[in-house]
Parts: sequence; C-alpha cells; structure tokens
Amino acid sequence: MTKLRPKARSQGDGAEGPDGGWGWVLVGALFVSTSLVFGLMRSLGIFFVEFVQYFEESAQAISWISSTGLAAQQFFSPLGAALCNAYDTRWIVMTGGCLAGLGLILASQATCLVHLYLTMGVISGLGWGLVFTPMVATVMANFTRRRTLALGLAFSSIGLSSFAFNPLFQLLVEMYTWRGALLILGGLSFNILPCGALIRPQRRSKAPAKVVSESRVSCGSFLQRASSYLELPLLFERPYITYTLAISLLNVGYFVPYFHLVAHSRQVGFSEYQAAFVMSAAGATDILGRIASGWFSDLGHFRLIHLLSMWTTLAGLFIMLLPVSSLSGSYAALMVISLLYGFCSGALTSLVFAVVPMIVGVERMMGALGLLQLIESGAGLLGAPLSGLLKDITGNYTASFMVAGGFVVLGTLTMVTLPHYFSHKDPPSPQRRSPDDTEEGSPAELEQIHSLPSHTNDLTGEVTNKRLPEDTFS
Amino acid sequence: MSASWKQLFFQILLLLVSCRHINTKTPGPTPPPLIPIDQLPTDVRSVVLKGESHTEKVELLNPVNLALECTWTGNQDKLPNITGLWRKNGEEVQNSSQTVLLENDQYNLKRVFSIVNEENLGSYTCEFGSKAKIDFVLAAPQIGEVRDKPIVSYVGDSVVITCKMEDTKPQPSTWNWYRANGTDKEQISTAQEPLRYEIKSEERNTKLVVHSLVEADGGLYYCGAVYAISTSMSHVKLKVINFHEPLKPFIAIVIEVIVLVAIILLYEKSQSKKNSAAGENGTTDQTNTLTQGESNGPEESSSMRQRKV
Repeated sequence: MTKLRPKARSQGDGAEGPDGGWGWVLVGALFVSTSLVFGLMRSLGIFFVEFVQYFEESAQAISWISSTGLAAQQFFSPLGAALCNAYDTRWIVMTGGCLAGLGLILASQATCLVHLYLTMGVISGLGWGLVFTPMVATVMANFTRRRTLALGLAFSSIGLSSFAFNPLFQLLVEMYTWRGALLILGGLSFNILPCGALIRPQRRSKAPAKVVSESRVSCGSFLQRASSYLELPLLFERPYITYTLAISLLNVGYFVPYFHLVAHSRQVGFSEYQAAFVMSAAGATDILGRIASGWFSDLGHFRLIHLLSMWTTLAGLFIMLLPVSSLSGSYAALMVISLLYGFCSGALTSLVFAVVPMIVGVERMMGALGLLQLIESGAGLLGAPLSGLLKDITGNYTASFMVAGGFVVLGTLTMVTLPHYFSHKDPPSPQRRSPDDTEEGSPAELEQIHSLPSHTNDLTGEVTNKRLPEDTFS
Repeated sequence: MSASWKQLFFQILLLLVSCRHINTKTPGPTPPPLIPIDQLPTDVRSVVLKGESHTEKVELLNPVNLALECTWTGNQDKLPNITGLWRKNGEEVQNSSQTVLLENDQYNLKRVFSIVNEENLGSYTCEFGSKAKIDFVLAAPQIGEVRDKPIVSYVGDSVVITCKMEDTKPQPSTWNWYRANGTDKEQISTAQEPLRYEIKSEERNTKLVVHSLVEADGGLYYCGAVYAISTSMSHVKLKVINFHEPLKPFIAIVIEVIVLVAIILLYEKSQSKKNSAAGENGTTDQTNTLTQGESNGPEESSSMRQRKV
C-alpha cells in the first residue's frame, strides 16, 4: 500500500504537488489563458479610438468598458473559486471561456455604449473571473518546489502577449473594423476551452462537506456550503487578513506608474517617442523579472515571504524615485529607474500568489485566491483616481508617485506583521479545519496541533489528517 | 400693339430657350461674383534668390491682384543684362520675355497677376535666362490630414467620413462632398437623398454620414473646402464589405478550438482506458487507482482513500 504511493503525491498536509510532467502542460495552458484574459484586456485600447469615433462618446465613457471588465473579473473570482470547490474545475474554466468569447461576440453587434458595458464588461468579465483564479489555483496545486517558477513563466505571457496583440488587433481593426475584429477576438477567446480541457479531474477535498449537508437541503445548509466553498471563514483568520490587507495596499500604488509614467515623461519634457520607449522598456524588464524571480525563489535559499517583501520594498522605493530621477532632466536616469521598477514589479507578481498556500494551505487555496482578488480589486480601483486627483491638485506627478510608492512600502510593513515572519523556516501550512470546529484559538496553535502528525506522514499514505470531516462522522 | 406683344413674346421665348441649360451640376462652388479686375485687392510677394532655384508657397483665399517680385543676386558672370521671363505651369506667359538690367548688383523681375479663380492658380515661375528661377506655387489652403488607409464598413451599417482643416489654416466658407463617378466627381446632395446621406458641417470640420450601405457605395469620396478662390479637395476611400468576411476566420478558429478540445478529451479517455486495462493486472500505479476512484464518484474516492490507510 505505501509502496504504491509515489512520494510526490503524498497528501500529508495537502501541500505537495507532483512538480512536473503534466504540471508543465498546465503551465502552458495557464500561459495561453492568461494571455487571452489579461493580455487581451491590456490591448483593448486599440478599440477605444474606434469606439469614440463610432459612438461619439467621450474617452472617459469608453474607458469604463475596460474598467467594468476588470472589475467584473475580480468580483467574480470568488464565485469561480467557490464553483470549482463545488464542481469540477475543468468545466468551470470551459464555461468561463465560453462566456468570455460570447461576451465579445455579442459586443460586435452592439448598437450603443450600454451594450458594450454589458457584453464586453459584465459577460466577458464574468467569464474571465471563472477562468483566471481556478487556473492559477490548479497550477499551484500541481507544483511545490517549482511553484513560483511555474507562475512566473505563465504570467510572463501578459507582457509578451501585449506585444503581440497590439499590432494584431490593429490589423484586425483595419481589415474588418471593430465589429469584425471583436467577432474574431471572441473566437480567439474560445481557445480558453482547450486550456480548461487540459485540467484533469481532481480529487475533491471539498466533497466530504457536500456529503454531509446533502441530507438536509435547506437554505441554511446551502448558505453553510456556500460559505465553505467561498472560504468565507478565511476572513476571520489573522494571517490571511493581514496578507490580503498588505496586497491591497500594494495594489493601490502598484498600477500608478503604468497609468501615469508616459504622461509624466511627456510633462518633464521628453518626446512622445521617448516616453513610449520608457514604458516598453519597463514592460520588457517586467517579463524578465517574473521569470527570474520565479526561478530564483524556487532555489529555496530564502523564504518566499521574505523575497516578496524585498521586491515590494524595492518596487515602492523605485516608484518614489521615479519623479526624483526625472527632476534632473536626465533621460538615462529615468530609463534606469523605470527598468529597475519594471523588474521589481514583475518579480513581485510571481510571488504574490505563490505565498498564499503558505498561509492558508493548498486545499483552501482556490477560495483564498478568489477572495484575495476581490478584496484587492477594490484597492486597485482606488489607486488610479487618487493619483489623478493628486496630480490635478499639485500640478505634476511627483505627489502621485510618492504616495503610490508609500502605499507599496506600507504594504510591505503590513506583511512584516504576519505571524512567524522572522523565523528562518516556513511555518507548516495550516490544515483544513472541519466546519464544526470553533473559530477560536489562533491559527498558529492549531497549526502546531496539526503539524506534528502531518510531518511524519510523508510516506505513510495519504490522508492522515485527523481533522478531516470524515473522522468526525465515520 | 400686337406686333410689340409678339416681339415681347418671342424675346421671352428666346430667353427661355437659351436658359434651359442653366441647371447643370458643376463640380465646384458657384462662381464668385465677378469683381472687375481693377477693384481687386492687391498683394505682394517677393523673394530674393541667392542660389539657383527656390520654391515659395503662396496661400490664397480670395481673388486678388498678386504682384510677384523676383530678385536675383546673380552668379559669378554678372552679365550687364539678361533675359527674364515668366512661366505659368511651365508654359511661357505671352509677352513676358524682357531684358533685365543689372541694378545694384541685382536682377529684378516683377509682374502683376490677376488671380480670380481656380484656373489662375498654379505654379508661376520667373526665370533669369536659364540660370536661375523662382517658383511661386499659388494654391488655396490644402487639407493636411489625409487618411491613407481606407475606411471599412459593413453592408447595412452606416459610416461616418470626416474631413478637417487644421487650426493653423484659415477656415473655409463652406464644405462640399463629392463622389467619384468614373473620372468625374459628382456632388452629393442631401436634398436628393435625405435618407441616405447626411452632411454635418462646422467651421473647420465636416462629416458625411452614409446610411444603409450597399456594396456599390464603395469607392472614392472627396471633401471640398470651399474658399472664394477655389475648392481644396481631399479624398477618402470607402470599402464596403459583407459580414461574411470576418466570419470566415471566426469559423476557422472555432473549428480549431473544437478539434483541440476533442483531441484532448479523447486522449484522456484513451489514457484512462489503458490505465484501467493495466490496472486489472494488479500492477497499479497510484494514479490509476485514483483515476478509477474519481470515475466512481467523489464520495467513494475519499472513502477509498481513508480505507487505504
């Protein structure tokens, strides 16, 4: 019995994935689907010029389309996570792909702006929400030692696909106008379906909870199940809340350079071409940073949380240095700081998700990611208008960048308050607690209760979690 | 009395007959009111040439008596007199050949031209012998932003074509739109087809909206900025395509997606069949049992896991 268990598949604490083989196929699937979600979202700017002309609306009204899409993607992330906890991930992702494509196809028939909000914004956003978080969680579940590298490689697709999609969309719009181009984009989005199909049906660790409540089908039990699928109890755990708060603060400042760097460069006196080049260079180092940080983190020399803190501190520092570097009027200084900023911001994106299973455990990762996306989205919505407001008040971008960098550093400081931050080794990941457990007691204590038996479980077979719900009912 | 009435009648008839041809559509603005030449305003343009040739652009809005002055500092020969002449669009202006004397180390040529309508615009050149010349290019303000790529639209949809005169240039008195008809240009009149064409003109920009497009609507469209002196044209190409055009790549992509999904799902089914076939021989890999377990349903798989321990 024990010999039949390959070591990699031991479910001792639910945190060990197979690290290779089919996992890399899933990384490829995540690569493609991420590029079709975020790479596509980033390149929608090409359509906005056409929309402004066709619908005769202001640029601001048109920009709400992508804001709605992004907000919907992040808002529906917990829903996607919960559905994957309840049903098979594969079909959820495939449904998401269908919805994303459908939204774009319907958008091609739009006759007024509201249609675009509803189709490109809500429907496609819902589809994207059902795709992104589940796919990330699946890839992370399939890796342990190479987790960050896998994520880094997959997320590098965002930058690379932006490079490829911009000229492609331009070509499509020129040949078929925006209607035809959106139709074809909808078809392209359907390529998420094969990516989802690659997800193998997995063991359902949530299933036991379902068995329990199946006997009483009532509103109360439904809510209980829903809250367990959504991992709402996580909201009461200090490590998770701390981490989510830290990432939200990070989000407030993180996007500001992407919005304002070009405008700031132009204001300082550089040409349009120079400003755009700075942005492209930062984008290139972003891709590099993701992969490099992923590879480096997996070498295991440092704890992921420490590496993440380092990258976020550096990123915040460089954001604050951006306006300072351009004060001197030197293009080289601005370029260097932007390159460094790009590298650090890419480096930290690989790690943001990888740290989550360290805090909540692999089993609850899906729901945790969903909730994280939802909460951090609110913060992200705050960042751009705040920086714009600061710019309107002060007249230049210095204050905006300073405040943005400040938020990022504040996020790092919040991260420092995580339990076991200063220990050299990672604390053992928490087990999934049964819904009947009380919420009292710090998670740290419970971790210790669970950790001892689970660590001796390496080779002795799968589930020795004494806390699995079956135990209480068997 | 009747004779004078008859005369009147015939005169009126004659008048009517000769007036029948007045209603032709001419591409171009209504001819400007004929101002007698000596009542036109005067303008001067002068150029001093140091080298061999020079081109000067002159922007004109209204009919004007334009005096063009050419001054040449001469070359090393410094001949005492030289033949000067004027050309319009390459052709010599009649009676313009004259002998130019060297005064104050310079040769001077001056002539006044009446620029009244479009025919008077063009390239005016003063030549000093065959050694030096200055070109004056007389034109109405040209429309700068010309869209080189065609505007594409779908059958049944409506399209907006815009033309804009830059802020740095003077604004036209009105705008006209024309459609290419063979080699001619035919003016688009909204009065004739109010359901199909709509022209919205402001001072510096103009929009032509064409509704209910058909494929025959494709082709060259010209917008004309009307000035007193002439009309400057800019053209835009309109391409009308059927909705089937983008449908072809779309269907190709959808087919590719369906094929990929089918391949993936079938491959997985064949893998699991292979594994289950091997599993019956007792040399199970852990994954096989799990795959089997999963196919039996989630509840049983978890209970199976429990029992294995």
